[in-house]
Amino acid sequence: MQAGEVPKINMSSWEVGESRYLPGMEIKRLGKERFVVYIGPQHPGSGHMRIIIKVDGDVIVEADPDLGYVHRTMEKLSEGRAFIKIIPLVERMAILDACNVTLPYVEAVEKLLGLEPPERAKYLRVALCEINRIASHLYGFGIFGVFLGHSTMYMWGFGDREVLVELAEKLTGARLTHTYPIFGGVRRDAPQNFTDNLRKAIRYLRKRLDEYRKIFLDNPVIRRRLEGVGIVPKKVAVDLGLVGPNLRASGVEYDVRAIEPYEAYDELDFEIPVFEEGDSLARAWVRVEEIKQSLRILEQIADKLDKTKGQQIMHDRFWAKAPPLYKKVFEAEGRVKLMPLFAILRVPKGRSFARTEAARGEITYYVESDGKDKPYRVRIVSPSFRNAIMFKYVIPGHRIADLPAIYGSFDYFPPEADR
Amino acid sequence: MAYLSVWTLTERVISIVFWGIVKLIFWPPIYQFVIIPGLAAAMVVVISIIWFERKAAARVQMRYGPWEVSPRLAGYLQLFADLIRYSFQEIIIPRTVDLMPFLTSPLFALLLSILPLAVIPVSPVKWTWPLTPSAMRYSVLIAAALTTLSPIFIVAMGWASNNRFATIGSMRETFLITAYELSAVIGLFSVVATVHSFDFTKVVAFQGGGKWLGLINPLALLATFIATLISTSAFPFEISDAENEIVAGPFTEYSGLMYGINMGSAYIKRWAMSILIALAFLGGWRPYIPPPNAGYVTGYLIPSLIVTAKAVIVMALMSFLRAVYGRYRIDQALHVSWKYVFALAIAGFGLAILEGYIL
Amino acid sequence: MPAKFVHKKTPKIGVLGAISRNASALVLGLKYFFEPNRFTLMYPREYIVLDKRYRGFIVLNKNKCIGCESCARVCPTGAMKMIKIEVPDPKNPGKKKIAKYPTINHQRCVYCGFCVDICPTEALYHVPVHDVVYFNLADMIQDLESFQKEPVSPAAAEGAIPVKYVFDPERGLVKVRVKEGEKK
Repeated sequence: MQAGEVPKINMSSWEVGESRYLPGMEIKRLGKERFVVYIGPQHPGSGHMRIIIKVDGDVIVEADPDLGYVHRTMEKLSEGRAFIKIIPLVERMAILDACNVTLPYVEAVEKLLGLEPPERAKYLRVALCEINRIASHLYGFGIFGVFLGHSTMYMWGFGDREVLVELAEKLTGARLTHTYPIFGGVRRDAPQNFTDNLRKAIRYLRKRLDEYRKIFLDNPVIRRRLEGVGIVPKKVAVDLGLVGPNLRASGVEYDVRAIEPYEAYDELDFEIPVFEEGDSLARAWVRVEEIKQSLRILEQIADKLDKTKGQQIMHDRFWAKAPPLYKKVFEAEGRVKLMPLFAILRVPKGRSFARTEAARGEITYYVESDGKDKPYRVRIVSPSFRNAIMFKYVIPGHRIADLPAIYGSFDYFPPEADR
Repeated sequence: MAYLSVWTLTERVISIVFWGIVKLIFWPPIYQFVIIPGLAAAMVVVISIIWFERKAAARVQMRYGPWEVSPRLAGYLQLFADLIRYSFQEIIIPRTVDLMPFLTSPLFALLLSILPLAVIPVSPVKWTWPLTPSAMRYSVLIAAALTTLSPIFIVAMGWASNNRFATIGSMRETFLITAYELSAVIGLFSVVATVHSFDFTKVVAFQGGGKWLGLINPLALLATFIATLISTSAFPFEISDAENEIVAGPFTEYSGLMYGINMGSAYIKRWAMSILIALAFLGGWRPYIPPPNAGYVTGYLIPSLIVTAKAVIVMALMSFLRAVYGRYRIDQALHVSWKYVFALAIAGFGLAILEGYIL
Repeated sequence: MPAKFVHKKTPKIGVLGAISRNASALVLGLKYFFEPNRFTLMYPREYIVLDKRYRGFIVLNKNKCIGCESCARVCPTGAMKMIKIEVPDPKNPGKKKIAKYPTINHQRCVYCGFCVDICPTEALYHVPVHDVVYFNLADMIQDLESFQKEPVSPAAAEGAIPVKYVFDPERGLVKVRVKEGEKK
């Protein structure tokens, strides 16, 4: 089978009576020179998942991604807890992308409550979202690098992520699980020298991106590993419903920040890079260009934060009647104290839907409330889950050595997919 | 009188034992195979090079590398700690392996990797040669032939392990053997074309006065260097035991000391190849010339240390590449080695013939 | 202004480009080999002096607590539990009354800080310490007494060097030693 070609699934063997086996458990006779190799879940190149591949010599003829090793029933757990308690829960989906994956949930509940966060809160949310996006891409690069045996990229990605984690810590008080956006605003104001630090970090990262290019992306060895490998044609990418940078690397113009701007994204001037080739190299490049644009966004956000200094970051419904102690704490420490009603917040009956562009692609939440203090249903569609299907169709036709090059380029994150 | 004679007797016994030991140490087969540049030196060099590799990569990668075990020695003792750990770890032998080849192949691979060192000269002084002068005339040929023996045991290891990753790894190794051997041997033999002799001592003698063959024929040096990288699975050709693809390739089922030996034998092979490169391309023990009637130290120890130092530099260079490169895919490595390295080796050989005609 | 889509192509390199790219990768590697840029914290020998804003261990100030249960109610993991104890009643001297106080189970706490933020009297607060070690699980369940004690970083207690990271446009983060005076 050609790379990128979508094979037809034989539905007939699934029918009752025709096969003695349950779907997914059929026993098939292998070809004479075929070989089944289980990549994962305890394999240094697989993450928390398994890819069952059948090889003919060195060429993979069939790949079967096997997900669900880190499934934590987040959707079901959500039905049993108060609205605010779901934020720390769902951010465990992708802790290095914590703000991006919790923001649509917060937005969906805000829609039900009929709230619009104040301007400065929006900027702060965007700031943390972009910090998370860069950190997540650097993490992805690190893993990608080590999959290709490039240990320097691995260490550099993780080392420079420290700069962003430190920034996030200064902003929110926690390195990873920030629990930052909350209904009606955000929890902490930016500290005094935050924008200065942000600008310094931006300058540093611009310099480093150039060096990443030299040692990794333009490194002839790495280029040969990536160029023309794992091509996802535009049509296949659309048909299979890819999202995020993987979709944009195949030449599709789709980004929630552009087509349905949320928070402050419609006030900001930035580009969304789209690459045409659709191979692993394009997927790496699209992330680099995205980091550049994120730095551009952060620069503008730094100016906006300077302009809106001292403004309120919590919606009036939760802030106007706040006791004087609350305002004093906010002025002294920049910490938004929550009104006690947050613990028993009743959300009006209704359904709402919100999506954002997380680092790995579009993340969608559907929240249904029946007027109680717990949601009736929370449905999460995470970007990695939508990208996982691609392994089945892209990997066949490539060599075993290409498996990490493709797997890494999708920046697939099992905890996010399994939820 | 009796007292004196006892004293002289003791003295004589001591001197016989002392000089006996010295003679034994500097007896070429013992000295070359066991001390320098053989097992003992190889052990020290391999440990130091692994330490250097880890430290160098760590410096590039924003880290410190091994440090905690001995902060004053910059973590050098970490490697000895690792060695001790490997030696005492349980060796697990799966029930499904083919026992004899599984157990013996690592030892043969190690032994054969170091065998080339037993046939090369490390000094121009005649009595230090491990072979007879008539056999010495073919030392380049013998050494090159011996370097090609060890890979077959890596293939045997993978096959005996009866593991899918090991099978894939040994398949890759098989492909790579065919790809690099020819380039390595042709690259090494280009010095023969220039010097008109298979004799390592003549090759080194030819390189006196800074006329290093590596300088006048860089193509052959580069071809041999890259072929060595491929043969010892150094980056960017760490393919047959690529961790993220096929776990540890042929060594997947090995544990404890057996795995340590496997890991070490690749480095020891790199060491042997580096010695050959130092002799063939980097002037060997030149610019040092031993005085006439040279003793053990001036005639044997010093030149062997000079060769060792040069080989260590070559090896350090190879190790540094880990910090810069990823790994090639197997077909790309074959492509590189047949299309570029082989062409480079042939070009180097042509250049060598030309130079042999002129010089 | 909404974002624009910009179509790009991955840059191509030829044979000569490959040679120069190899060289520049090697030169960059050598540059960092000679001038390494490290962020490493030598932890048990050094420790980070955390910001006051850091969401570290949570401590109770019993005098301020009014027993309103908001913290226990908002805790997303059920780490915070209220306990009832008898205390002297200020209104009826000599009599006792039942008062409620929160305690925390550090096995479950995720340090989201909701309890600190929701406390109407600021009775709960974060301590900028994150490296406390417990020797058994039972120790992690705090009682009222231990919940009021501010934990101390074991590294700091053993005389480790206090450091902090400052941002730098050239080197990213630079580790600086913190002087005794400017700790708080």
